[in-house]
Amino acid sequence: MTKLLDKPLKAFTIYALIILLVSIPIYFLVVDWIWVTEIDDNHEIIMERIENRFEQAHVTGHDLETILNTWNTLQPSSSILPITENIARRDSIYEVTKFNEYEAEWDRFRGLQAVIRIDNTPYLLNIETNVEEAYETIFAIGLVTVVLYGLLVFGFIQLNRKISKSVWKPFDSTLTKLKSFELSTSKVVTFEHTDIEEFEAMNETISKLIAENVNTYNLQRAFVSNAAHELQTPIALLKSKLDILFQDEKLGTKQSELVNAIQVPLARLTRVNKNLLLLARIDNSNFSDISEIDFAEKVEKSEELLQDYIAEKNLSIKKNERGLCVFQCSKFLAETLVNNLLSNAIRHTAENGKIIIDWDEKGFSFKNSGKEPLNQESLFKRFSISTTETTNSGLGLAIVKEICKQNGWEINYDFLDHFHIFSVRFSKF
Amino acid sequence: MKILVIEDEKELAIDIVKYLSLEDYRCETANDFATAKEKVSLYQYDCILLDLMLPGGDGFDILAHLRSQNKQDGVIIISAKDTLEDKIKGLNIGADDYLAKPFHHSELAARIHSVIRRKQFDPSNLIIQNEIKIDLLSKTVHIEGNPIVLTKKEYDLLLFFIGNKNRVLSKSDLAEHLSGDVADMFDSHDFVYAHVKNLKKKLNEQGYAGYLKTIYGTGYKWEI
Repeated sequence: MTKLLDKPLKAFTIYALIILLVSIPIYFLVVDWIWVTEIDDNHEIIMERIENRFEQAHVTGHDLETILNTWNTLQPSSSILPITENIARRDSIYEVTKFNEYEAEWDRFRGLQAVIRIDNTPYLLNIETNVEEAYETIFAIGLVTVVLYGLLVFGFIQLNRKISKSVWKPFDSTLTKLKSFELSTSKVVTFEHTDIEEFEAMNETISKLIAENVNTYNLQRAFVSNAAHELQTPIALLKSKLDILFQDEKLGTKQSELVNAIQVPLARLTRVNKNLLLLARIDNSNFSDISEIDFAEKVEKSEELLQDYIAEKNLSIKKNERGLCVFQCSKFLAETLVNNLLSNAIRHTAENGKIIIDWDEKGFSFKNSGKEPLNQESLFKRFSISTTETTNSGLGLAIVKEICKQNGWEINYDFLDHFHIFSVRFSKF
Repeated sequence: MKILVIEDEKELAIDIVKYLSLEDYRCETANDFATAKEKVSLYQYDCILLDLMLPGGDGFDILAHLRSQNKQDGVIIISAKDTLEDKIKGLNIGADDYLAKPFHHSELAARIHSVIRRKQFDPSNLIIQNEIKIDLLSKTVHIEGNPIVLTKKEYDLLLFFIGNKNRVLSKSDLAEHLSGDVADMFDSHDFVYAHVKNLKKKLNEQGYAGYLKTIYGTGYKWEI
């Protein structure tokens, strides 16, 4: 994953690189052209000056010869040589690479060859100027370009950081708030005001979306709660009618068996409805019976209550007290939590299996032997099916989770050494 | 023995009456607050079954009214509201028991039996049924003077059977009575067989297994 701002940065950097690379030959050509043109112009001017000065000096004959000799000996960059009249020469500009004795390297020279007249005699004037080598120019331009490119990229990165820190601040704050947002807590989320139009629009849209979701969630919650309440009476009636039917003396064995068979799904319906009502109550958090709970005592009680079911499957229960586990909680919720976790362990352990309950100051855990890990994702969700067993109302663990959430505890599931582990921690360490 | 069923759901009231009439209870019903209040003011009942949500008023008010008149009728609240707060409130105002809906009629019958027994101020706290004598205080059982030793569960079952004599009791009736709320977390209640079997065996040792009948594919019945 790349950060949003890094994307344009990368593109900008590549674009700058291409432009600067292309600029190197262009700069070279332009600089070389200016250079050469300037030298050529200069050669023309020098040529005219020489011609004029000789003319003004009125040197002739032997003197001229002496001067020209001296000239040709002393002037390194130019020479004036006599030519025969007949040869018609045009001015020419040339470029030559010669070995420079003084610098001991090959140098590029730009030259002008022209015919000048001194004392009405034609002479061939040759002027040469050392021109910077092409590779040297390119090297210099390239070096400058690289340095500039470096500065450019450095600037991009710095600016990018600065922009992302300041401009994206409202976005980050919105993101942080959204991350910690939980629909079920029904806490109102307010976003920081920002002067950036897009973020303000985003915040407004998200606020609207959240408000709608919270509203829908509340409606749905109310609906579930109302539905469960409404179902209570028909369920009670159904149970009552079955009980009456069961007492009918005319009922044969087959019919009695049927009535018994109906009792099973009816019990399940009762359980689901009861659990839904309980979930609704936990959601509304109306529990006032907060008191100090001794976990060991609740486990003892729960074990006694579930003793028959433990014995039926011949399960062994091991309890490890590693520290005193005392906490503040609604008595009813604490009992529900322990009962649900223990009955969950009993239900999901094969016959002759093991259940281990550990507790200390910081929390407690229920372990039960099993074969495969359960699906962590959906485990605590309502009506998620983790096994093929029909006993599960699909709400037991959802209730456990709700109770933990209510108390600000953390519940985790793990699978280790063929043991399902449900652990509750009182605070996050 | 007279029982008043205060319940706004008429069908449920009819069923309760039907079930209880199998025993020698005489039942009356009241379907709303006004009728209920009138009846409890005018007459005396051995036990009143009180629903909390009534058309025209709150069941708690009837209970408070009853106790303010110093009437000692036994009261069992039967309500769909099963929060601990409601239970505590009901018991504080003076209810003798609290049974959350939905319930098995067998459970209700056992509770009524127990409430009436307590209200009769029997100083010996004895249940005597033919040869069987149960001492509720010491929780001991004698048959023809011979003590039989029962586990807590077997003792509970015996009382439950006697409170529902001549009624067919299903396995789930018994499981719910023994395990209470946690029973509905499980589908299999096979442990009930074991307890009933043991109880039957102990009764048989004294030669009185005949009361407890197993009805094939259905359940059990305490027959007198």
